[in-house]
Amino acid sequence: MKTNVAVFYGCRSVEHEVSIISAVQAMRAIDRDKYAVTPVYVTKNGEMYTGDSLFTIEEYRNLPELLKKSKKVYFVREGDNVLMRDIEKKPFKKDVATVIDVAFPVVHGTNCEDGTIQGFFEYLNLPYVGCDIISSAVGMDKAVFKDVLKNAGLPTLDCITFRAREYVAEKEAICKKIAKEVGFPLIVKPVNLGSSVGITKVNTENELDSAIMLAISFADKVLVEKAITSLREINCSVLGNADECEASVCEEPFMNDEILSYEDKYMGNSKNGGQSKGMASLGRKIPADLSEEKSNEIRALACKIFKAIGANGVVRIDFMIDTSTDTVYANEINTIPGSLAFYLWEATGVKYTELINRMIDLAFRRQRGRENITYTIDTNILSGVSFGTKGAKGAKM
Amino acid sequence: MDIFFILALIFIAASGLCSIVRQYQMLQQNSYYISRYLKWVFPFYRTRLIFDVIFALGASALLFFKLNIPAFILAVIIFGFRLNTAIKTQKKSVKALALTARVKRLFVTAFLAAAGLVVLGVFVPYTYLISVFAGMLSPLLTLICRILNSPIEALVNAWYINDAKRIIKAHKDLIVIGVTGSYGKTTTKFILTRILSEKFNVMCTPHSFNTPMGVVRTIRTMLKPQTQIFVCEMGAKEVGNINEVCVIAKPHHGMITSVGPQHLETFKSIENVYKTKFELEEHVKKAGGMLFANGDSAEISRQLDRDCKIYGTSPNFEYYADNISYGKFGSSFTVHIKDIEIDLTTKLLGLHSIIDIIGAVALAYELGVSPDDIKYAVASLKPAEHRLEMKPFNKGSLLIDDAYNSNPEGCLEAVRVLGSFDGMKKVVVTPGLIELGEKEYECNFNLGLEAAKNADIIILVGINRSKPMADAVKTTDFPQENLYIAASFKEAMDIYNRFADGNTVVLFENDLPDNYLN
Repeated sequence: MKTNVAVFYGCRSVEHEVSIISAVQAMRAIDRDKYAVTPVYVTKNGEMYTGDSLFTIEEYRNLPELLKKSKKVYFVREGDNVLMRDIEKKPFKKDVATVIDVAFPVVHGTNCEDGTIQGFFEYLNLPYVGCDIISSAVGMDKAVFKDVLKNAGLPTLDCITFRAREYVAEKEAICKKIAKEVGFPLIVKPVNLGSSVGITKVNTENELDSAIMLAISFADKVLVEKAITSLREINCSVLGNADECEASVCEEPFMNDEILSYEDKYMGNSKNGGQSKGMASLGRKIPADLSEEKSNEIRALACKIFKAIGANGVVRIDFMIDTSTDTVYANEINTIPGSLAFYLWEATGVKYTELINRMIDLAFRRQRGRENITYTIDTNILSGVSFGTKGAKGAKM
Repeated sequence: MDIFFILALIFIAASGLCSIVRQYQMLQQNSYYISRYLKWVFPFYRTRLIFDVIFALGASALLFFKLNIPAFILAVIIFGFRLNTAIKTQKKSVKALALTARVKRLFVTAFLAAAGLVVLGVFVPYTYLISVFAGMLSPLLTLICRILNSPIEALVNAWYINDAKRIIKAHKDLIVIGVTGSYGKTTTKFILTRILSEKFNVMCTPHSFNTPMGVVRTIRTMLKPQTQIFVCEMGAKEVGNINEVCVIAKPHHGMITSVGPQHLETFKSIENVYKTKFELEEHVKKAGGMLFANGDSAEISRQLDRDCKIYGTSPNFEYYADNISYGKFGSSFTVHIKDIEIDLTTKLLGLHSIIDIIGAVALAYELGVSPDDIKYAVASLKPAEHRLEMKPFNKGSLLIDDAYNSNPEGCLEAVRVLGSFDGMKKVVVTPGLIELGEKEYECNFNLGLEAAKNADIIILVGINRSKPMADAVKTTDFPQENLYIAASFKEAMDIYNRFADGNTVVLFENDLPDNYLN
């Protein structure tokens, strides 16, 4: 009897393909002595498929063919269990239902990583790996994330945010305000995308408008913050829950184009004809070349941030060091980091399989905590209620 | 053959089927034991039995004298009455007949038996007498079906038991903990499960499922692959019962919460109760596990030299608690485990609850739950409803609701708990105990004495009913002006509201109306 882990990936997100890579890697690393693995590939329009072919990365080159080999499924709670059922019922064939014990979302970006898929699992009351709805949502919106950090007294750069419509209506005023309050060079970001999509570094006022227009095409809300000129980017992963967590070693990604672009992160190798290996293949130094003191400072900060947003499972937090002042700023958090940041944990002494075991244990642990809290009252207060001719007459409570 | 003769037999058989619903319900509520069912049948069925015999004799006589049409009319009338009763009783029943697979099988048998009786009566001369009596006397038909089905049920049970054993065996890393005891096993099970859940995926038998088939059902329907620990309550009414459950659940560790004079009519002696509870020992030993036993239970403390881990309130025990105190926060106490001390607080009140917690803490600690996790879990335990349950009450006062307690010993303990709320105005509101037979006066008298010792204000409910308690209070030096006797609960509340304030704690003891908070 093995615990059945359903790995969800893909989804309606700009990072759809990255998620496939992360998920196939993760499924290969799951401890098969302990767990049975059910792949659940969510297409870009939200349909869900399962099947053995989904375990092989090469199959994804021909997506229509892959989907033909797979089965379209849906998820439903029935009594004590959450079941995965076939959507297309074949006549005279027994309707097969698979019991899912825990969900493992390996999704990146909006419409999934931001609390959306977590809400789906909560609705089914299915234990799931990783951050809950609120921490996922906070982690996705870079502006809200900064607000939470500021509230907790944790270091992050000040920023200006505005909505797309606001910008189009009052372009000049907003640009003037940005120039005055932020100054150049600066960075323009859509608030809710990971993996550097839509992010531009702006050196002069002339470039500002096109950078903002690009950001607007990805998100309704845009964030502008000062660009650090003497910048080092340092990433650190945290594993645990809000009660106890630990930080991995730090990494320093190599920068090709001043800020790490989407191409750097995920397409680095694919140009050479080899298959993309995701974050794990990116040029980087692990552990980052930092003094022990600085490294400990960042790791301690990472744990504080993890607790401040109430995260769970594994996250990666990206920091910036202004080398001119040696100050550390938290930049953003990835609540489901690319490749689940396994390369950072292997460097810390935690094997990928062990990392996944611990993430699944944390999922069950959170579920247990929830079951110990009363969410429903067993007595039905409606049992004495009826709608009479003169409208509703409530039961005396 | 006269058509009305056949119809009469059919309607008699059908009325038998109507009445069998109620009989099956009682059979089910007596766990399908024929002996327990018969114990219900005789007192409750006596009066109806006379009528049923008269009707059966009447119907037989009519058929005997070939008065088939009157017999038919009588059968239809009886059928009508019984159908009506059957529907009404099921609707009114607190615990209606649950349509389990077993009940369905019993209905199939009943239907076949009824059909068989009609056929028999029609084709074999004079056997209609049997058909009439079996149809009219529903307990008889119930017994026939119950006995006819027993070989099938034995096979079905054997299959389920084997399936449960297979599941336990397939679950290689599962740790099973058997919890038994005359009292406190259900509470201990829930506390233990809650504490273990800080570290493990734990599952326990729900409600008070503690028979072999209850455990089998739990294993088959609730055990999940990720379950790491299964806390299994084991109940016993006869010698050998614990062994039966152990053979299925295969416990690694065990806990005996108490040995006391319960179910003595089946156990015969307290020594047998002791022996039965310790059937757990052999299984735990075989698995190389630990057996915990409550040293405060008098029967267990008599044989402390046994090879098991003793917990309780004496510093001589391996695990014990001291510094017990009560207050607005609940109970607080210190548990000593080897060299470490864990200070705990809980909303659960009373020594019994605290002893249950000590046992659960000891076992959880030995299984690796950290003191901090234990602290948190114990602090978040919730009392059962109306069992020494603390609630905010009128005018900022604190209510200890013990309205469901009807055990004399438990009532005295509740009053003692009230007494230990130092520095607060202590009030007890109680109508006393009932249905205790010849001991009733004595028990209420003792309750009165204990109340006088521990409370500042006593409000007795029911002028006649509370007399023994009032007598007891008057024998002490309890200030008479603080003793109130109220005619009704409402009047008691009016008295209470006169002096209730933020520093008042009130105990509601036993048998108060369900909706008194409205």
